[in-house]
Amino acid sequence: MNYTLWFHEVGKEHTALVGGKCASLGELLRAGIPVPPGYAVTTEAYERFLQEAMLGERVKNALGRVNPDDLSSVEAASREVRGLVEGSSMSTEMEDQIAECYRRLSRLCNLPAVPVAVRSSATAEDLPGASFAGQQDTYLWIRGTDDLLFHIRKCWSSLFTPRAISYRIRMGFPHEKVSISVGVQKMVNSWTAGVMFTLDPSTGDPSCIVIDANWGFGESVVSGECTPDHFVVNKVTLEIVDRTVSRKDCYYTADAETQTVKRLPIPEERQCNQCMIDQDVINLARIGRQIERYYGRPMDIEWAIDKDLPAAGQVLILQSRPETVWSQKRSGPLIGKKSGFDLLMERAMKREKVPR
Amino acid sequence: MSDGGFPKPSELAYPKELDGWEEMYPPYYIFSKDRTDWEDRQFWYHDKIHAPEPMYPWDLIFHEAWQISLSQYNTRVFCIPPAQGVAQRMVGCYMYICAVEPPPPEVIQQKAELFQKRVFYVFEHYDELYEKWLKKFRALGEEIERLVIPGELPRFEGEDVVFPAPRGYFSSFEVMDAYDKLVNGIIKGWQYHFEYLNLSYLGYLMFADTCRKLFPGISESTIGKLVAGAVVTMYRPEEELCKLARMASTMPSVKEVLKTDLPAKEKVERLSKDLDGKEWLRALESVKNPWFYASCGSGWFHYEGSWINRPEVPFGYLRSYMERLERGERIERYLEEIEQEREKLAEDYRNLIANEDDKKAFEDAYKTCRTIYKYAEDHLFWVEHWFHTIVFDKMWRLGALLAKYGLLGEAEDVYLFNRFEVPMIIEDMVTAYALGEGVPARAAHWKEKASRRRKILDAARQWTPPPALGTVPEEIAEPFTVMLWGVTSDKVAEWLKGAAVKPGEVTEVKGFASSAGVAEGKARVIKLLEEINTLEPGEILVCPTTNPSWAPVFTKIKAAVTDIGGLTSHAAIVCREYGVPSVTGAGIATSVIKTGDIIRVDGNKGVVHLVQRA
Repeated sequence: MNYTLWFHEVGKEHTALVGGKCASLGELLRAGIPVPPGYAVTTEAYERFLQEAMLGERVKNALGRVNPDDLSSVEAASREVRGLVEGSSMSTEMEDQIAECYRRLSRLCNLPAVPVAVRSSATAEDLPGASFAGQQDTYLWIRGTDDLLFHIRKCWSSLFTPRAISYRIRMGFPHEKVSISVGVQKMVNSWTAGVMFTLDPSTGDPSCIVIDANWGFGESVVSGECTPDHFVVNKVTLEIVDRTVSRKDCYYTADAETQTVKRLPIPEERQCNQCMIDQDVINLARIGRQIERYYGRPMDIEWAIDKDLPAAGQVLILQSRPETVWSQKRSGPLIGKKSGFDLLMERAMKREKVPR
Repeated sequence: MSDGGFPKPSELAYPKELDGWEEMYPPYYIFSKDRTDWEDRQFWYHDKIHAPEPMYPWDLIFHEAWQISLSQYNTRVFCIPPAQGVAQRMVGCYMYICAVEPPPPEVIQQKAELFQKRVFYVFEHYDELYEKWLKKFRALGEEIERLVIPGELPRFEGEDVVFPAPRGYFSSFEVMDAYDKLVNGIIKGWQYHFEYLNLSYLGYLMFADTCRKLFPGISESTIGKLVAGAVVTMYRPEEELCKLARMASTMPSVKEVLKTDLPAKEKVERLSKDLDGKEWLRALESVKNPWFYASCGSGWFHYEGSWINRPEVPFGYLRSYMERLERGERIERYLEEIEQEREKLAEDYRNLIANEDDKKAFEDAYKTCRTIYKYAEDHLFWVEHWFHTIVFDKMWRLGALLAKYGLLGEAEDVYLFNRFEVPMIIEDMVTAYALGEGVPARAAHWKEKASRRRKILDAARQWTPPPALGTVPEEIAEPFTVMLWGVTSDKVAEWLKGAAVKPGEVTEVKGFASSAGVAEGKARVIKLLEEINTLEPGEILVCPTTNPSWAPVFTKIKAAVTDIGGLTSHAAIVCREYGVPSVTGAGIATSVIKTGDIIRVDGNKGVVHLVQRA
């Protein structure tokens, strides 16, 4: 049985097994885009769990009694089913497999118990439409096998939120046909993080990659509360063509005790240091170029450099979305239908103004 | 100070020590009351690229020649519409230049029509035109090479010029005639020099504009990389040296001799006693002209020397090539790889262009520029190196002749006289010679002048003239001014800012960002190639200019800074090939940076910072 699959083992063709989210992480890895490491707990695991815990009939019965127009009956059924799913145990074999993956992930990160994000990953059998409730569940900073197994079951049970139940009934989709996969992914413990554009957002220059970076998590850069270090990298040659190292006075980092993110001041002596080494700037830009090629358009990317992973794999991509400003502005040509001679004539007539 | 912040030429005061400098140069090179209006209205700046140091009067000839030639191609031949010529003036021994203000609108219109007709024709036929150019240029150089400057004047003319019929003109006339022909040859050679140069600069600027429209952040060094060719005549001397080294590596006896540290002359002597050695020397002889007519500097100054008269230079390289070959290293440049890399770079940039019309425009602009840009790279060897080597050889012989007859203290003093004065000294010499035995010439007069001028030049070296004079222009259209001298609004602003700074107080020097990267280290200032052996591995080379005769140096250095040279200069190209940061055309680098200073070379921005003075 394939209860677990590493992200680097999967791709689009595994969507039914690992859900869309995990499959696309696999696709990114295949394209050479590093994402935080982790694995999927497959739909087979979920289905086997229902079987082994002998939950199938009980779930069916509980849901069979639901009157979709009666909110309280939906809520009651949801409570019952979620209680069943969250309260039942997995088989030892399944637990072992999931826990073994977790140990390997921890070892990779050089930690006794690596904090992970546990999130549901919807499968292709889902009905189209974003409102497929419950499946956006994400649990952050989960540590240790027991906590992990519990939150995997919580993700599974999110199939049975009241909204999900009534939605399926309304769409006439049988409850027993739905399945779910869960992604277990290292929480990025960023040394330095920020955003990257695969064009120059100030000029639209498609030959530039622009990187903004600060110590700690990317929040301080995204929110704009701190002036980040700024790098411009030539997309073709991957040379750093411009850099501004700024005074950075605050950063966000993980609080080990509360397992949350907190804001801290940056010590005076570090404020004006460049927050990432040139080699990482160049690596990151190379990855940015890769992402742009993968999506076929300029992208706006959140990234981080992880403290825990081995040196070669520290640059990580957290999120990519299409760049919108210039992509919309740039519909027409910049030069247009002009021959070399036309351009030569233009240049010959040019008179460079010297500002007063 | 005038409105723009620079002194008007008519207001400029000169240090007392320079008194008498004006008489060293032709009168039309001096700012003068009778044309103050026009002169004060123009914008004059010190040409630190070609004349960073006080100008020897005779060396001005090349500048006189280019002032006419460069300008007339803009104004009268190819008619670049709004561009006029580049005028020159001497300012206390320093040369200042100025892009003349644009002509009236109706002239621009007339020129635009001529430009289209003439310039497009040149671009369409460039390859065949270049072949014709090279043929006539080499013929001219060979003509100059055939001029005879005798080592001495014969006590009695030989019988061969008397029988069967007297030739009618003799040694006295021959020397005068040879000099006149030399001068005319130089002027003519420089007419040829610009035949396609203005247009290749224009082509480059057109492509650079196109690149900047599509990629606003593209760096100068990337544009340079896209345009520069790998197979360039200027590299032939180095390539020939590589071939000779390869040949020698198969000849044990030759190899042994070349590896010794004997003087070049002795090496040749030893080789000529050996069978293989003779064969190798024959191979050397067969490439000497033209390929060893490579200047050890820029070719602009009489004191630089060339491989043929500084044989220690090529033999020194041969020695290091032999050592590298023994270590199994490759000594040749990776021409094919460089070409492939350039093509790949162009393709990568083209692929970044989203719009199809833009893509086509970029391709066509690139092709148009590449058609003619070769000229900028090829003419350099033939004119500044080969031709100037021939010219300087004749001048040295002339100087030696004048010194032999006591008109000059030493041969080199000939350069202390301008090209109009030299014929007077020659005439003085041949007159005394013709008059017979025991007739004095005015040797004392010339010698006194020479020694006074030497003092003036020394005083000028101690003087820092203002970077610019006159009125800051509203616009600049002249292609050389923009590209070669890099006179842009930024540069002018920088001059205004730094107008009062003394060399010892300079903390940064700006030039072209010609090879990307940043490096910090100890500076080694090398003004003449002979000093090259003082360079330690890992130092930063700071020099007036480099050319392929400096090539082996680049594997040793951390970064390079040159006074002279743009984005496609030798130093820029080689630094990019070796991935060494460089700033070229920094103008005053060798005068403000001293060996031992810690400097930081930012090849991305074209700035050299003086981090710590030695």
